[in-house]
Amino acid sequence: MKKILFLLLFFIGHASWAQIASPTKREVVGRDVGQLKGVKISGRITDAITGEALVGATVTVPELDLVKITDNNGSFELILDRAEYNLQFRYVGYETINYPITAVGDGRISLRMLQEDFQLDDVVIFGRDPEKNIRSTDMGAITLSMNTIRELPPFLGEIDIVRSLATLPGVSQVGEASSGLNVRGGGVDQNLIQFAGAPIYNPSHMFGLFTAFNADVVNDVTLYKAVVPARFGGRSSAILDILPKAGSITKWGGDLMLSNYSGKLSVNGPVIKDKVSILGGFRISYINWFLNSLSNPTVKNSQANFYDGNLVISAPISDKNEFTYSYYTSYDDFAFASDTTISWKNNAHSLQWKSRLSSKLSLEALGYYSLYNYGIFNQSGINDFDINSDIQDIGGKLYLGYNFSETNKVVFGGDFKQVNIQPGELIPTGTQQEILPKKVQNEVGQEAGVHFQHEFELGEKFGFSYGLRYDTYRYLGARVVRQYRENKPVSDGSAIGETNYSDGEVIQTYDGLGPRASFRYSFNKASSVKLGYNKMYQFIHLISNTATIAPSDVWKLSDNFLEPQIADQYSVGYYNNFKGNIFETSIEVYYKDLQNVVEYKDGATLIMQNHLETELIPAEGRAYGIELYVKKNLGRLTGWISYTYSRSLRRVITPFEEENINNGAWYASNFDKPHDLTLIGNYKVSTNTSVSATFAYSTGRPITFPEAKFDFSGNNLAYFDSRNQQRVPDFHRLDLAANFKLKGKGRFFDGDWTFSVLNVYGRKNPFSIFFDDAVGSPPQAFRLAILGVPLPSLSYSIKF
Amino acid sequence: MLRRLIYILLLLPMACIDPFKVEVPEGQQLVTIEGIIHNGPGPHAISISRSATYGSVFEGLIRPVTGATVVIRDNEGRITFLEETENSRGNYFTPAGFRAEIGKSYTLQIQTVEGKVYSSLPERVLSSPAIENVSLKTVTIPVEGEIIPRSGVQLISEINDPADQKNFYFWRLSPVVHVLEARPDLFVNRETRTPAPKACCYTCFRTEATGNQSLFIAQDDNFNGLTTRIPAGFIEDNGLRFVSKLRVDLKQYSISQEAFRFLRLVKQQAEISGSIFDPPPATIRGNMISLDNPDEVVLGYFMAAGESSKRIYIDKSDLTFRQIAGIVPDDCRTVSGASIDPPFDWKP
Repeated sequence: MKKILFLLLFFIGHASWAQIASPTKREVVGRDVGQLKGVKISGRITDAITGEALVGATVTVPELDLVKITDNNGSFELILDRAEYNLQFRYVGYETINYPITAVGDGRISLRMLQEDFQLDDVVIFGRDPEKNIRSTDMGAITLSMNTIRELPPFLGEIDIVRSLATLPGVSQVGEASSGLNVRGGGVDQNLIQFAGAPIYNPSHMFGLFTAFNADVVNDVTLYKAVVPARFGGRSSAILDILPKAGSITKWGGDLMLSNYSGKLSVNGPVIKDKVSILGGFRISYINWFLNSLSNPTVKNSQANFYDGNLVISAPISDKNEFTYSYYTSYDDFAFASDTTISWKNNAHSLQWKSRLSSKLSLEALGYYSLYNYGIFNQSGINDFDINSDIQDIGGKLYLGYNFSETNKVVFGGDFKQVNIQPGELIPTGTQQEILPKKVQNEVGQEAGVHFQHEFELGEKFGFSYGLRYDTYRYLGARVVRQYRENKPVSDGSAIGETNYSDGEVIQTYDGLGPRASFRYSFNKASSVKLGYNKMYQFIHLISNTATIAPSDVWKLSDNFLEPQIADQYSVGYYNNFKGNIFETSIEVYYKDLQNVVEYKDGATLIMQNHLETELIPAEGRAYGIELYVKKNLGRLTGWISYTYSRSLRRVITPFEEENINNGAWYASNFDKPHDLTLIGNYKVSTNTSVSATFAYSTGRPITFPEAKFDFSGNNLAYFDSRNQQRVPDFHRLDLAANFKLKGKGRFFDGDWTFSVLNVYGRKNPFSIFFDDAVGSPPQAFRLAILGVPLPSLSYSIKF
Repeated sequence: MLRRLIYILLLLPMACIDPFKVEVPEGQQLVTIEGIIHNGPGPHAISISRSATYGSVFEGLIRPVTGATVVIRDNEGRITFLEETENSRGNYFTPAGFRAEIGKSYTLQIQTVEGKVYSSLPERVLSSPAIENVSLKTVTIPVEGEIIPRSGVQLISEINDPADQKNFYFWRLSPVVHVLEARPDLFVNRETRTPAPKACCYTCFRTEATGNQSLFIAQDDNFNGLTTRIPAGFIEDNGLRFVSKLRVDLKQYSISQEAFRFLRLVKQQAEISGSIFDPPPATIRGNMISLDNPDEVVLGYFMAAGESSKRIYIDKSDLTFRQIAGIVPDDCRTVSGASIDPPFDWKP
């Protein structure tokens, strides 16, 4: 009778199976057909209130020492023998569920987990899996869930993905208003930033003061800084993979946040119950109103607007198949003292299909289209013009995963993309024809890669992962390509002819093999050592004369002058967890070798430049460092300490002495900051109050000081000789935040108040030191501090 | 109180720029050349100096190099000697009647009293299209903490750019001559501090070098072959210059591509603002070399150019915004450069 009832329940559907509290009785799972081995228990974990899938929750089978992580759909799968088990379900910020079962046949468990918001005093900042850092073979992959990021002090009222990553060892930023990340001595363009699989070229709002991703619609971010899996390619330093959340398939809900700089709202829910969910998010700034209310005339005439929006439609149409469509857009415009407006916009669409073809074979297919454009609009009244530029990416990826067993997996596949760059078009907008329209030649490039990766373990102690990626690249016409005199520097003066390539004609090809390998040896369950090597190719370059990603920067494809960037990285790491994973520590050492990094001739003109080869010089680079990391995952006090000692160097040696930089000696790159220390702490004062603090210290970035002053045409000028020989003063800053959770009546009144102060002691950290002959004072050095005062912010957020 | 608190929270007073003391390496004393010769009336000047430590004015003085032998040689081998004048040390002038000729190349050669020899690379003189017209635009520049903005007049050169050649333009302003209005009746005796009205003089003509605030240069990439208007100069309104009429000559030079590249670097550096988008500092290398030691760095640029010039008179009514007129409570002749008589060719 009991069996029949069970059977009935099984067929009625999993909704009735949902468990909120721990079952007091051992459940019998599966249809008993006398199976003894290979019993497959699958299941799905959702949030009890919102119905959202819980991605990255851990399912532990203590009897087998087996840990499983739920996938993007909240699903997991266990292969067990017929026996009794005491399953444990854990998820950051949720109550742990102990779930005793008797597995008798293939079956299904659906679970709802409750957020522990008001129950627990402790904060848990595990990533997806508490022992992943020890057990996994991959090196330098850091996944931050939004729950972890939420424990950090917010920046300008909001949690910020990019800034949070910069608190980790080996990851830094040039300064306070700079977008992008420098990962292990690489430039900002050497990171592939992808949102739901589609590349994003400018990840910032307001020149880097804000990250252009709305944290409420992001599920998690993974940064690969050492051994990058073979399925990723195209950039030479790191991969930043940002995955959006899926909406709930059972219930409507959302988040609302208001701060004194911006507001955001996201709503999600089922379009077709249990089948299709939708999630929409929008964030907008109201900084413009405040700029207008200030008395400073320059500021008053300035404007700054931004917004970003997301739409995610996800359709877990069956246990085996899931489709996800994601749309992302971000927009910025900025006008300084009203004459010239700069604007930029990201757009990205992607469609993903995930399928479990069999219990061992899975497939993932993704198609994407992204468009990044920027414009400069000059309305000064004389020679008015617009400059427009855009980058289009269209591509697809397909990969298959085959699991021979839990500890022996293969992934293989391929990807293709076409990049079209319209580097710039100048359109006169004045009433009279005073300037000529001008267009820089379009660029077209195609990249294709095939890859293979095998990951396996030998016993408990040894883990291996090796892979290979083969990249090919074609640079296509139509294009007019100049020839230059040999034995002379490439310049306008040494051009001797031109070749016309027709539409689609191949101008240049490159290819390369990128091996990836890592090895892990575990001393015991809590400590391991890992070795890694990888080689990566990059066929697109950020042509920027500043140290940060500026909206006016030009991206350039590799052509017959500009060869692909190649990076080789060797790394070693030791990992040790203490006290049942409460403390997580690691030491990593790396050495990186870079080829064909772009450097610039003095005073290079980069915007609207049809012959960029005349302004660029290839450089070689090398970077090395040691990274120390201690993290406390659990308890009233959580947080981490990360310290990095690293160098990032460049060298330019050309056949022409006059083009060498610093006489061909190694010199510090713009973002070389040898010492970098971050301390982060979050203390739970009571069940609904927590305080957090971040302290950051780093060596000042390199800068060039003048070696002499001279007069020319009434200007007192500085003579610069060697690049980056001095440094700005050291950077340090303390940020504090306090968070109060209010419990009101009804869902709409449960809110979070967060008050934060950035730069508590108001240090004027110099972004730059520059030299100017200002009217009325002697020529001297000036300091630009982006965040020169303590900056408070207040935000209020509710979940409904 | 709450409103105040909110205002503090909302404020965005983040960025700031302030002078900063840094240890700058002791400056090298590099020879610096500046000068332009052209096909207009002379004399043309070449100045030679030595660079000094960057920093405050007290840390290093830019010293003129005097007593050098300075010659200009054209491509036919003709040599012109330049003379240093008594009251302008380090400045060397071409003899009366010297003009550069269109199409010829010139090199500058210098021998210092220490016997060191420097030479420029040859510079070819290209003709400059005529300035068809000069139009004016009043410009205001907001100043932090001030209600009244700075202002002045921008000079815009209208030219017919020749389509058959690449042109590089450089503009300079002659010293201005303007009507100066004074109030000698308000004169106060400085010792007795009592009013001591003077009878004369209320109106003078003052000659003054205004400088140019910035470098005005252009290349015809964007307007080759067009009739175009390009900002070519700026005269700041100091409250005295635009009370009646002001005269200025706008001088337009056709310079070489290399000279343009040099000036662009100078302009870039002169206009640096310390913003996050500033390009990194660039080495400004000119066209001078040391014949004794090829590794010696010589700063500056010797230019040879075609000149076209246009004289304009700016009336106070041409400005849409003017500074409040300044008051000179004295005889206008006491102001430097002022005289009671207009220049002989004053024809507004």
